[in-house]
Amino acid sequence: MAKVFIDDIEYEVPDGKNMLEVCLSLGFDLTYFCWHPALHSIGACRQCGVINYKDENDKRGRITMACMLPASNGTRISIEAKAAHDFRAGNIESLMLNHPHDCPVCDEGGECHLQDMTLMSGHNYRRYRFKKRTHTNQYLGPFLNHEMNRCIQCYRCVRFYKDYAGGKDLDVFAAHDDIYFGRSEDGVLENEFSGNLVEVCPTGVFTDKTLKQHYTRKWDLTSAPSVCHGCSLGCNILASQRYGTIRRILTRYNGDVNGYFLCDRGRFGYEYTNSKKRIIKALKRVSGTYQPIENGNAFEEVKALMGEGKKVIGIGSPRASLESNFLLKELVGENNFYGGISNTEGNLIKQVIDILKKGKVKTPSLAEAKGYDAVFIVGEDVTNTAPMLALSLRQAAKNKPNEEAFAIRIPLWNDVAIREIVQERTGPFFIATVHHTKLDEISSGSFYGHPDNIARLGHAVAQKINNNLPSVPDADRESASLSSSIAEALLAAKKPLIVSGTSLFSKNVIEAAANVAYALKEQGKDVGLIYTVPEANSVGMTLLSENFVDDAIARVEKERADVLLILENDLYQRIGKKDSEAILKRCNQVVAFENLENETTNSCDYLFPAGTFAESTGTIVNNEGRAQRFYQVHIPRNEVRSSWKWLDILRQDLQTAEAKDFDAIVDELIQKNPELQKIKETAPTADFRIGTQKIPRSPHRFSGRTSMIANINVSEPKPPVDNDSPMSFTMEGYHGIQPSPDTAFYWSPAWNSVQAINKYQIEVGGPLHDGNPGKRLFEPDENRQAKYFNDIPSSFHPSNDELLVLPLYHIYGSEELTALSHAVKERIPQAYIALNENEARRKGLNAEGGKVEFYYQDKKWELSLKIDNSLPDGIAGLPKGLNETSGIGYPFRTKINS
Amino acid sequence: MGRKLLLDKVGIVGIRSYDVYRENGGYSSVEKVLKTMSPDDVTNEVKKSGLRGRGGAGFPTGMKWGFLAKPEGVPRYLVCNADESEPGTFKDRYLMEHIPHLLIEGLIVSSYAVGSNRTYIYIRGEFGWIVDILEQAIAEAKNNGWLGKNILGSGFDCEIYVHPGAGAYICGEETALLESLEGKRGNPRIKPPFPAVKGLYGCPTVVNNVETLSTVVPIINMGGDEYAKYGTGKSTGTKLISACGNINKPGVYEIEMNISVEEFIYNDEYCGGIANGKRLKACVPGGSSVPVLPANLLLKTAKGETRMMTYESLSDGGFLTGSMLGSGGFIVYDEDQCIVRNTYSFSRFYRHESCGQCSPCREGTFWMEKILWNLEHGKGKMKDIDLLWSVQGNIEGNTICPLGDAAAWPVAAAIRHFRDEFEWHVTHPEEAQRRNYGLAGYAEPLKAGV
Repeated sequence: MAKVFIDDIEYEVPDGKNMLEVCLSLGFDLTYFCWHPALHSIGACRQCGVINYKDENDKRGRITMACMLPASNGTRISIEAKAAHDFRAGNIESLMLNHPHDCPVCDEGGECHLQDMTLMSGHNYRRYRFKKRTHTNQYLGPFLNHEMNRCIQCYRCVRFYKDYAGGKDLDVFAAHDDIYFGRSEDGVLENEFSGNLVEVCPTGVFTDKTLKQHYTRKWDLTSAPSVCHGCSLGCNILASQRYGTIRRILTRYNGDVNGYFLCDRGRFGYEYTNSKKRIIKALKRVSGTYQPIENGNAFEEVKALMGEGKKVIGIGSPRASLESNFLLKELVGENNFYGGISNTEGNLIKQVIDILKKGKVKTPSLAEAKGYDAVFIVGEDVTNTAPMLALSLRQAAKNKPNEEAFAIRIPLWNDVAIREIVQERTGPFFIATVHHTKLDEISSGSFYGHPDNIARLGHAVAQKINNNLPSVPDADRESASLSSSIAEALLAAKKPLIVSGTSLFSKNVIEAAANVAYALKEQGKDVGLIYTVPEANSVGMTLLSENFVDDAIARVEKERADVLLILENDLYQRIGKKDSEAILKRCNQVVAFENLENETTNSCDYLFPAGTFAESTGTIVNNEGRAQRFYQVHIPRNEVRSSWKWLDILRQDLQTAEAKDFDAIVDELIQKNPELQKIKETAPTADFRIGTQKIPRSPHRFSGRTSMIANINVSEPKPPVDNDSPMSFTMEGYHGIQPSPDTAFYWSPAWNSVQAINKYQIEVGGPLHDGNPGKRLFEPDENRQAKYFNDIPSSFHPSNDELLVLPLYHIYGSEELTALSHAVKERIPQAYIALNENEARRKGLNAEGGKVEFYYQDKKWELSLKIDNSLPDGIAGLPKGLNETSGIGYPFRTKINS
Repeated sequence: MGRKLLLDKVGIVGIRSYDVYRENGGYSSVEKVLKTMSPDDVTNEVKKSGLRGRGGAGFPTGMKWGFLAKPEGVPRYLVCNADESEPGTFKDRYLMEHIPHLLIEGLIVSSYAVGSNRTYIYIRGEFGWIVDILEQAIAEAKNNGWLGKNILGSGFDCEIYVHPGAGAYICGEETALLESLEGKRGNPRIKPPFPAVKGLYGCPTVVNNVETLSTVVPIINMGGDEYAKYGTGKSTGTKLISACGNINKPGVYEIEMNISVEEFIYNDEYCGGIANGKRLKACVPGGSSVPVLPANLLLKTAKGETRMMTYESLSDGGFLTGSMLGSGGFIVYDEDQCIVRNTYSFSRFYRHESCGQCSPCREGTFWMEKILWNLEHGKGKMKDIDLLWSVQGNIEGNTICPLGDAAAWPVAAAIRHFRDEFEWHVTHPEEAQRRNYGLAGYAEPLKAGV
């Protein structure tokens, strides 16, 4: 602890901070622009000027930037001194010289850090009487809008984009008052994290283009704390709506998970919730077409189908909540419930869960992953399968070189000095994947190979760390030397991190990664092991599943089922076309609870409109086993509701059970699944109140409430009540610091922008006031003797006539629902089949873009050729999840023709 | 006739070529240090000489070398700052153009002292022809064994590279220079870490001015103690002054730092008096960034002492009544010159050269230029003068690098000393377009107590 004096009052503050952080953490309103809690200090904007005094006798002091001033013992500053005030107001005045003052037409207006800081600084009279300089704006792609005239040149955008996220195509151009932040020419901003510029930019230079399509001011949005369903990481989001459509997604700060950032898939992939393809009422297929049907009638009919003695099976979903999966399981009975993924995938996830539960190695959170100093990625294209993990790993790569700066006592917050010292260097970072991935640009060694060869490399590394492990037979010299250098680097690190996942559908890869981590643990290393899984609730659903879809197919093949209930699942996306058709045809009646029309809903008999994350409340479990609650943003004016609500109604009818609210279902769930006990603690129950108050979803400045439906009825209806959470759908409720899982927006007096988050944290950049939301379900047992996996696969030998086809992932396109959003759609690549040049030539294929034919499940597919020379011989890659490749189950072997 | 140490051989025909330079005693200092001295000996000689940096700040060179961190296994760099681009300063250009081998010789000796095996000359992009001169001199030196591996069998390796900039004044600021040399945008760095600890490519680095490094040659040849006998007080040795403006003999002069300003302006050996028989109105004694002084404060200090051409004397009285020796860009104004116009011209320069990194300078220089344009063109208001004062006040001392100060000081000094002229521009907008304010009382002797 250090003692500092702020305006002559003594404070005890933690060591190693700068004075700006300290002042903000203590609750002082000190203006700043270029400093960001995740990007640290560069001292460029000069907005946090305070008077720094040498000692108590120094009455004059000098203006110093608080962000560059270490909060060391005896530091003495004044925020309130007139000279400091005048300087800050003068600085804002100069920043505003060229600012267009277009707040009324600016998307940032009302949540603008520049507005907040201008008011805070006290600058209110403009002495500048010349023309403003103007800039030309750029087209930056479907996600971001560019309005350079609003820029106040704080450099945050390039620092985030280039230094933090590793982007290459945004930079600062020109000099003096002509400074320009943009691309060298118009074009799509390519980095996967570009959307964060919306929140990083303190004013309206970079704004959300998708929000612009249906713009609403911040104060008019009704928001709910939610969890991104785009991948398995479970990043926290704030989803906002007005007039019943979702308008935008913002980061919900969670110091343990995503911190201040989101990936572009998560931020801009929400528009499918507003899609015209949404199923918004119960439908029944009558002579080949769907007809609307009264809910009650639908229930009666489905109930009749499911009556006594009928053979009913249910297929769950890795993108539906625990509660929905649980109720389906309850409704159809334990033995008739199947997890909605292939057996291959299900068994892999089971194995991952087993390692998480029984292994003795910690699975760090997304935030903790940033703290490791050596990384070994085993078989995962993280940027495309779990994008935010790639962002964390990019930070981890800086830790080793940063030590050199710490050695000369440069603190972490002094980003400008650290950049000088570290330059472009990165720490030990090894990647073994099927083909070239984006993180290769920071890797110290990359290996491309068949999943079995990746696993062999992993086993070789583990063996070099622990000599007692069996050595890898027939290892070639190249991978032997690579495995030595990987083992050496991991052993030299303080905190090595192993990252793997299920994306290659390879048990061997998962086992090899665990072996490396176990071996490091035995060497006393503080090792971390992260597995990514395919979907938002893959772990949660698998925890509730004994069997998976292939088991269901086997069963219906043997004996037809009367009714198949499908929960939020397009089977064609998860199992092959042939299998999907098989199961749909072998069930007499198919009832689906689904968000949007898809290939599966084409062959159903009844459809119930299920809520997406926007209209549902529930709990999902992410890849590290963290259970997190998401809340419905609004009650739609159609029949859409959480799947578990539909299932609960069905259950009432069938089993005359009582209607249950959300908390009762959670209670029932944990009673039957004691290992999920902690999900009850992820958020307060619905009867939680602060005093007598609920927690509002709308800010207190929400407007238009009495006129929103005046075209229908002039009297304001009673606001809907949320029985499933302690939150109201209106502005009524407690507006102070709310429980962290239930905070729907960030606002504090004088802080209207996203940076109001400072007020919700114990210290800026630290945990939220009552802890970060989410509960981890499994923790490693340090004392357990981990069992090594001893099956070392033999090396892959490409066959002359057949190719092994593996999925290649794309951040835009490989996820089923986000791919339906307009903005994301623009970024989905053309479908292709990728081969290396050598392989292409052997098949008589020459030109990239030429047509390639192959057979999958007896059907001919035709795609254009893409040359990817990093792919090993004998392996072809297909983009997973694209329209053109939907209905393919991986991996498979095929012959190809030109 | 003042003693000369740098330009003493400039008059020799062909001194730019290696052979002539060598015949006239060139490279003897390299022989001396490599054969008889350790690097620390060289640094000590420079410390003894009292040499102060000739780039403008006047920091003791020996002390700067002494600060250099020397971690094991990490290369150290010497960088020569030849990005001379301050309005009014053209001494380095003269030196490099006329006697390039002096700089190369100084660089080899200094590289030996600081342990730099790769030494860079970062040169202003507009000096294209000087790049050729230096490249040729380096090639000649290398051909004759003064550069390369194991120079004179001493085991010391040294290569010199010339790196032209792209014409940004800010790249003369040492940390911006290093950024530019690294191939990045020339934005100044925040210190610490200082270049002596983490400079070029994250390694300990010394950045010195062309004249400073050239001066190391006579220091080694004659010994630090002997050199210290030149000049006065803490201003030891000789200094190159580039004199320009309304004088009879503009040019580069090497002066021993023991002459008065009056002598420098009026003596035929130097400027030779004000051109066309006019009277002296004002002078910027150290390059465009230093405060302008009216004649009455230039020749005598506020205390009535004779103003000398030394670091101490020129800064006597602080910024209220003094100025700085700076980089030696000596600009003289006669009675016909307009201070407002001159200030506008300087402001325009600084606005254009601001790197755009930190707000007070980027926005302040932009604003000052506009206000001064108005004042100069008869569109100013009385409150603009106060506004100008307030804008420059918000820049000074509040920026990352000294460019902000350099932009603010000339404006502050102009208002401080010539406020009546600014006011006259406001009260006589049309007249100000046709004629200049003139001498007013600037040349009159100071009243006591100013």
